[in-house]
Amino acid sequence: MTEFLHPAGVYLVGAALVGIAPGRLRVPLLLLIPAGALALGVALPDGHRLSGHFLGEEISVLRVDRLSFVFGLVFLMMGGLGTVFALHVKERGPHVTAFAYVGAALGVVFAGDLLTLFVFWELMAVASTLLILQRRTKRALAAGFRYLLVHAFGGASLLAGILLQWTAGEGLAFDAMALTGSTALILLGFAINAAIPPLHAWLTDAYPEATVTGSVFLSAFTTKAAVYVLARGFPGVELLVWAGAVMALYGVVFAVLENDIRRLLAYHIVSQVGYMVCGVGLGTGLAISGAAAHAFSHILYKGLLFMSTGAVLHVTGRSKLTELGGLWRTMPVTLALYTVGAFSISGVPLFNGFVSKSLVVAAAEGEHRAAVEWMLLLASVGTFLHTGLKLPVFTFFAEDRGIRGREPGWNMLLAMGLAAFLCIGIGVAPGALYALLPFPVDYRPYTARHVLTTLQLLLGTGVAFMLLVRHLGGEPTVTLDTDWVYRQGGRLVVGLAEAWAGGSARMLAGLTRERDRLSALIAAAGRRPPLPVGYWLLISLGLLSALILIIVL
Amino acid sequence: MLRRLVWVGFALSVGGELLLAATDALLPWWHRAPAFHAVYGVVGCVLIVVVSKALGKVWLQRPEGRDD
Repeated sequence: MTEFLHPAGVYLVGAALVGIAPGRLRVPLLLLIPAGALALGVALPDGHRLSGHFLGEEISVLRVDRLSFVFGLVFLMMGGLGTVFALHVKERGPHVTAFAYVGAALGVVFAGDLLTLFVFWELMAVASTLLILQRRTKRALAAGFRYLLVHAFGGASLLAGILLQWTAGEGLAFDAMALTGSTALILLGFAINAAIPPLHAWLTDAYPEATVTGSVFLSAFTTKAAVYVLARGFPGVELLVWAGAVMALYGVVFAVLENDIRRLLAYHIVSQVGYMVCGVGLGTGLAISGAAAHAFSHILYKGLLFMSTGAVLHVTGRSKLTELGGLWRTMPVTLALYTVGAFSISGVPLFNGFVSKSLVVAAAEGEHRAAVEWMLLLASVGTFLHTGLKLPVFTFFAEDRGIRGREPGWNMLLAMGLAAFLCIGIGVAPGALYALLPFPVDYRPYTARHVLTTLQLLLGTGVAFMLLVRHLGGEPTVTLDTDWVYRQGGRLVVGLAEAWAGGSARMLAGLTRERDRLSALIAAAGRRPPLPVGYWLLISLGLLSALILIIVL
Repeated sequence: MLRRLVWVGFALSVGGELLLAATDALLPWWHRAPAFHAVYGVVGCVLIVVVSKALGKVWLQRPEGRDD
């Protein structure tokens, strides 16, 4: 019976049930649906497919292999953690949207063909937009609509590439693709969701504006689903090696300037996904497994980081470094859990980032890519600088601004505790994660040299931080990024449209006055009655159309 | 206290690596050079901060509420 079930289907049906069920069933449903989907996902046998035919092509809504399984498993785990974190939310909308989002992301990961992939890809875009809009602030509405426009463009590019592939007789199977004109459009669609600079600004623009619980889900799925599709469709593409290395550094450079704690973490999503994209580009078994392992770790520690900074926002109503400080007294448990996430993303030994990030770095070293290895090591320095030092120091310590925080609710602490447990568990015993990876991994992270050199790198960063700490506090500024292009471009378009509309209105008014004058003359002459208004409107529209045609041609 | 711990840990990690005496000629030079990662951590951190701050001051940072 279960061979006909799809984990995405469980979440999507679950979303509908949460939307219509009586209020007393809300919590049971919110716990049962992720648990059921996880149980189903864990039991999926390798090689399992759910397929049919459509338009003469084989459509596989479910394809289970080692690559899709490892991504699907961590998606299911994070779906559960995010739901527990959001359990206190009484509104239905956020839960329905989150379930639809998780379901869509699972649909992407398990899609065996490009058509199924596209359908779930678009559902993911719509659901994630709603998670941003649901905060209902002016900034969230603006960021959400910008987010939707960027993803609509990415989706259109993906669809165009798929259609070109299909009409060229390449079929709809979703497997590794050679880089051609049509697949470049598919790659562009994937690259937008992977937040590869300069196509990344939707992420740092929108994620910090989402609801406290929404940003936890957002941090996990869209970019990692993009890493999965890149690993599936474009492994070994040289462009991705450099794109990944550059984005690993891009995120840490911008994070220095950031004042909003959730936006700072968003820049670190760009940076960490850079490791994964780089691994996909390197394309060796170790590199692809490294990308998958780091995605697995990243979803857990980034979820934990967004939960703990979200808890700070939830409790204090503040998210800017310039407005925070001294919270360690009233939020010690949140601080401890945040620290687990920070040590994990920084790659401190015994935490999960250490055992996954090093796979990608080792793969670069194995391929004698010295420049790439150095760039990734430098990104590690920047990661610890911001998430391990700057953010906690200026949020939980530094100047006491008299904010009287408190620990968040039990469900939030439970979700953070479970995520922290997994981060440490994988860091201490990485064999369980390595056994899940798409390619066999013969790598030992815990050698004396690796541990000592990692500690050197991190403690060296700590030494430099102590020397520079006076210059690293938050500043009440915003930082321009590549979204400047479409923010300003959008204003230009709106300005031109308003000017055109204003001109058209003046022209219409002039035409109407002229009609009235002519009608009056004709009526006075007694030859004809005034022409109907619709007739004049038709003439006006005809003239306008002629004008547009002249401009366009 | 914490500052002292960081310095002690930093010194221990460098000293520990020196004791390992890298002889594996297959490793690239930066893995064999003593205390390379320690220097890279300090210099890299300073570099990131200086470059970012310079970019911010000259080009990218704006007062809150402005995005032009």
